[in-house]
Amino acid sequence: MASPKTVPKDAQVMMQILKDMGITEYEPRVINQMLEFTYRYVTTIIEDAKIYSTHAKKSNVDADDVRLAIQCRVDQSFTSPPPRDFLLDIARQKNQTPLPLIKPYTGPRLPPDRYCLTTPNYRLKSLQKKVSSSAGRITVPRLSVGAVSSRPSTPTLGTPSVQTVGTKVGTPVSLTGQRFTVQIPSSQAASVKSATPTTPTVQNVLINPSLIGSKNILITTNMVSQNSSSDSSSLKRKHEDEDDYDAL
Amino acid sequence: MAAVQDGPMELDAEKETKPEILSDGTSNLSGNTASGTLSSSPLTAAPAGGAPKMEDQQTLIAVLQFLKRNKLTDSVEILRREAGLGEDQEDSLATDGSGGGKGDGDGGDAHSLLSRVSITSAVAPQNMPVKRADDQPDVSVVLSAYSQQGDPSLYQVYYSGLKNFIESVLDCHRAELSQLFYPLFVHMYLELVYNNHENEAKAFFEKFSGDQECYYQDDLRVLCGLTKKEHLKGNEALLDFRTSRFVLRISRDSYQLLKRHLQERHNNQIWNIIQEHLYIDIFDGMPRSKSQIDSMSGSLAGEARREVNKAKVFYGLLKEPEIEVPLDDEDEEAENEEGKPKKKKTKKDSLGSKSKKQDPNAPQQNRIPLPELKDSDKLDKIMYMKESTKRIRLGPENLPSICFYTFLNAYQGLTAVDFTDDSSLLAGGFADSTVRVWSVTPKKLRKVKSAADLNMIDKESDDVLERIMDEKTASESKILYGHSGPVYGVSFSPDRNYLLSSSEDGTVRLWSLLTFTCLVGYKGHNYPVWDTQFSPFGYYFVSGGHDRVARLWATDHYQPLRIFAGHLADVTCTRFHPNSNYVATGSTDRTVRLWDVLNGNCVRIFTGHKGPVHSLAFSPNGKFLASGSTDGRVLLWDIGHGLMIGELKGHTDTIYALKFSRDGEILASGSMDNTVRLWDSMKAFDEVETDDFTATTGHIHLPDNSQELLLGTYHSKSTPVTHLHFTRRNLLLAAGGYNSQ
Repeated sequence: MASPKTVPKDAQVMMQILKDMGITEYEPRVINQMLEFTYRYVTTIIEDAKIYSTHAKKSNVDADDVRLAIQCRVDQSFTSPPPRDFLLDIARQKNQTPLPLIKPYTGPRLPPDRYCLTTPNYRLKSLQKKVSSSAGRITVPRLSVGAVSSRPSTPTLGTPSVQTVGTKVGTPVSLTGQRFTVQIPSSQAASVKSATPTTPTVQNVLINPSLIGSKNILITTNMVSQNSSSDSSSLKRKHEDEDDYDAL
Repeated sequence: MAAVQDGPMELDAEKETKPEILSDGTSNLSGNTASGTLSSSPLTAAPAGGAPKMEDQQTLIAVLQFLKRNKLTDSVEILRREAGLGEDQEDSLATDGSGGGKGDGDGGDAHSLLSRVSITSAVAPQNMPVKRADDQPDVSVVLSAYSQQGDPSLYQVYYSGLKNFIESVLDCHRAELSQLFYPLFVHMYLELVYNNHENEAKAFFEKFSGDQECYYQDDLRVLCGLTKKEHLKGNEALLDFRTSRFVLRISRDSYQLLKRHLQERHNNQIWNIIQEHLYIDIFDGMPRSKSQIDSMSGSLAGEARREVNKAKVFYGLLKEPEIEVPLDDEDEEAENEEGKPKKKKTKKDSLGSKSKKQDPNAPQQNRIPLPELKDSDKLDKIMYMKESTKRIRLGPENLPSICFYTFLNAYQGLTAVDFTDDSSLLAGGFADSTVRVWSVTPKKLRKVKSAADLNMIDKESDDVLERIMDEKTASESKILYGHSGPVYGVSFSPDRNYLLSSSEDGTVRLWSLLTFTCLVGYKGHNYPVWDTQFSPFGYYFVSGGHDRVARLWATDHYQPLRIFAGHLADVTCTRFHPNSNYVATGSTDRTVRLWDVLNGNCVRIFTGHKGPVHSLAFSPNGKFLASGSTDGRVLLWDIGHGLMIGELKGHTDTIYALKFSRDGEILASGSMDNTVRLWDSMKAFDEVETDDFTATTGHIHLPDNSQELLLGTYHSKSTPVTHLHFTRRNLLLAAGGYNSQ
C-alpha cells in the first residue's frame, strides 16, 4: 500500500493553487475532482488544437491553434452571463410596460397550458389487436367527455396494452362550469381488468382537481355500443383524453 | 495638435452635462469612441511625445461619428471645421481605421458599436448581433479604455508619488483621500495587464497590494490571478467593475487639495484615471473620519451617490381590509370602513388606530395590481387575527423560546428552508435536487384524490373539501422531484396552495400543494437562481440569480414582468417589502439595493458590507431593513432616509438567516457559526430617531453598542442555522441541517 504521505506532484500543485486562491478548507476529494477537470480540459483543448492545425495543414501544433481552441471552447462550455449594459437595456425595455391587471376569479392563476407542465407528455400507442367477435363480448363502460378539461391531472393507472378509444371530444373550455357526462352502457358485463385486451375499452377522463369548486359533474347513463371500427377515430383523437379507465 | 485637443474636450463637456441616469452608458461611450482607433483614447491628453497623425485622424473620425449619431450637428460642424476634415475623408478614414484597428470587422463594426451605445435607441435584443457583442466587441470596447496611456515603468512612480502626497496632508483629509488608493491601484494594474506589460504588472501588484484595506483582500486575490489580457475576458464581475464608475464621497476641501496637487504635476496620469473611472461625489461639510468611511465602504463600486438615495420610497404598509368576525366579540374588528382589497400585517393597525386617512408614507392601494381576497383568504385572515391576540409581547426582559428543527442525514445537502406563515408546513430544498415538504403539526399531508375516486364522492356534502383528499397516501412528508440541480431557494405562497423552488438549473418551479406535483417551470435565468420569494399577497414572486439580475414574475405569466438590473455581481438574496411595492436584493457585490416594483427603478443603494450579502429582513412596520453577510455583521438601514442606522457585531461566520419578530421588537439572526443571536431592534431604532440626521451628507456616527443590543446567544451542537421564523404567537422556529464534522 502506498504511503499516504507521498502525494503526486500534480496534486501538490493543485493544493498550492487552492492555497493561493485563499481556499483553506476543502474536502480531500476536491483535489481529485480538480485534477480530473484539469486533465479533461487540457486534453480537450489540445485535441481541438491538433484538429485545427491539421486543418491548416501545419506540421506542428503551435500557439495560435491552441489559442483558437481555447476561444471556441470558451464560447461553448464556459458561458458567462450577459454583460451589464445589455442587461440594463433589456431591463429598461421590460420595465416600461405597465404591470398587467389581474383578472378576477380565474381559479389557479397559471400561464397558458403550453408553458405549464400539467399536460401529459406521453401518448399511449393503440394496438392493432382485433376483437374476436364472440357473442359474449364484454363491454365496458365508456366515458365520453362532453367538455374536456384543458388541464388533466395525474392520470389514473392503466396498462398501455389496452386500446384506447376516442369518442366525440369537445373543445377545451374554461375550467369553471364544466360538465362531464359519463356514459355507462347498460350491458355492463363483468368488470374487465386491463389484462384483457380483447375489447376496446374506455378512455379515461382526467379531472383536474382544481375543478373541485365547481360541483357540476353530471352522470348520465347512455346506451353505447362499441365496435372495433371506432379504432380509427382513436388515432385522430387529441392527446388530452388519454388513458384507460378500468371499469368497475 | 490643438485640433485634436478640442475634440476630446468637447466630448468631456458633453459627458458632464448629460444627466446622471446615462452615466451607465457614458463610460461605454468613452470606451467606444476609442474603439475606432488603435490604441489612443480620445479623452486623455495626447502623450507627451505626440501620437502619429493617423491615430489622431482616427480619433477625430470616431468622435465625429459619435456626435453625428447623437444628432449634435452643431458640434459636428465646429469640430469638422476646426479639424479641417472633409466629409468623405471622414468616412473613408473611418472604414480604414476600424478595419485596420481590429482586423475583425469593417466600417460597419464601428457603426454598429456606436449605435449600440447610443442611449436613446431602444435596442431590441434580437436585432443586434448580440451574441457576438456579448463576447468580443463589447469586451474590446470596454477594455480598450485601458489603452496605453503612459510609460509602464512609471506607474509605480505615479502611485508612490500619490501615496507620499496623501501621507503628507492634514489628518482630517488623509482618511478621505486614502479612499483613492484602492480604485487607483486596481485600475492601474488592469491597465498594465491589458497592455501586456505582465512583469510590470506583477511588480506593481507586489509592491502595493499590501497597502490596501483588509476588506478588499478577496478582490485582490482574484486580481492576483489575472496576469494576462485573455484572463480579463471571462471575468464578468470585474468587467462590470470597470465600466461602472467607482464612487467616492469626498468633502470639498479634500477634493480641492487633491485637484490642485494633481494638476500641478506634469504627468497627470492619475488625474486621467480619476476622470475616466472614478466618480467623486463632492459634499460640503466636515471631512469624514476613518471609521465613518470604513463603515460605508467595502462594496465593489465604492459608495452610493447621494442622489441615488433621494427618491421617495413608500415604506408604509397598506391598509387592512374590513372583515367581520361574527363569532368572537373580543376580537374587535375592522376600523377601516373602506373595504379595500389586500393587506394583512401589523396587528397594531387593526387594534388601535381608527385612522381613515392615508398614511403619507404608504403607497396607494392600487399602485400595483394585487389579487383580491378570496373567501379562503378571508378565513385565513380571521385565523390570523385570532392568533395574534394570543401573541406574546417580546422585549429585552421577555425573550422568545426557540424551537430548532434539525435536519438529520442531510450530509450538508440542505440548501434552503421555508415555513408557511402559520407554521404548519416546512419545506426543505436539497442539493440532490429534491424538495421535501413536511407537516409540522400532527395533521398529515394529503393530496387530492385521483380523478377516478373524485367521481365517486358526494359532491353536495358539507365537508367535500375534506372528502376530496386522499387518506390512503397521507404521510408526514412528501418529496417533490423535478429539478435538475441543487435547490437553493424555497418559498410558500401565503395561501399555502403553492410552493416555489429555485435551483441551480436556472429554473424556478411552481408546485401545487394540493396535488404535490409540479405545475410550471419558469425559465428566464439561464444560470443558477440563488433565491426566490413569494409576495406577501401571493401572485407575484421575485427571483435572483447568477446572471446579476432579479426578476419579478406573476404566476400566470411565463415571462418576467420586471427585470431589476444593476448589481455588479450575483444577486444572492431577494425579499419583498411588506407592502409588496418594493423588492430588496442583496448581492455578492456587497451592496443591498431596493427596487420599485412599479417601474423597475433602483430607489436605494446601501453600501457598507464587506462581504457578499446573504440575508435580508424587513421590519414588520416596513421602515427598516436588516442585512447580513459573510463578514458576520448585521447592518440596519433606514429606508426612508436611505441611511445606515445600526451595526450588530457578534457573529463570527456568514449570516444566512435574519428575521424580525412579529411586532418588530426583536431581531433574530442565525449563522454558520451554529448560533442564533437575538438583538434588541426596538432600542436600535429608537436611538436613531432621536439623533440628528445630517440628511444632506448622510453621515451617521454609529455608536458601537452591539454588546448592549445583544440579548442572547444560543448555540446549537453543530448545526448551522439556515432559516428562522417567528410563529404568529412569537415563538421562534429555527431550522438547519446537522453537520457532524
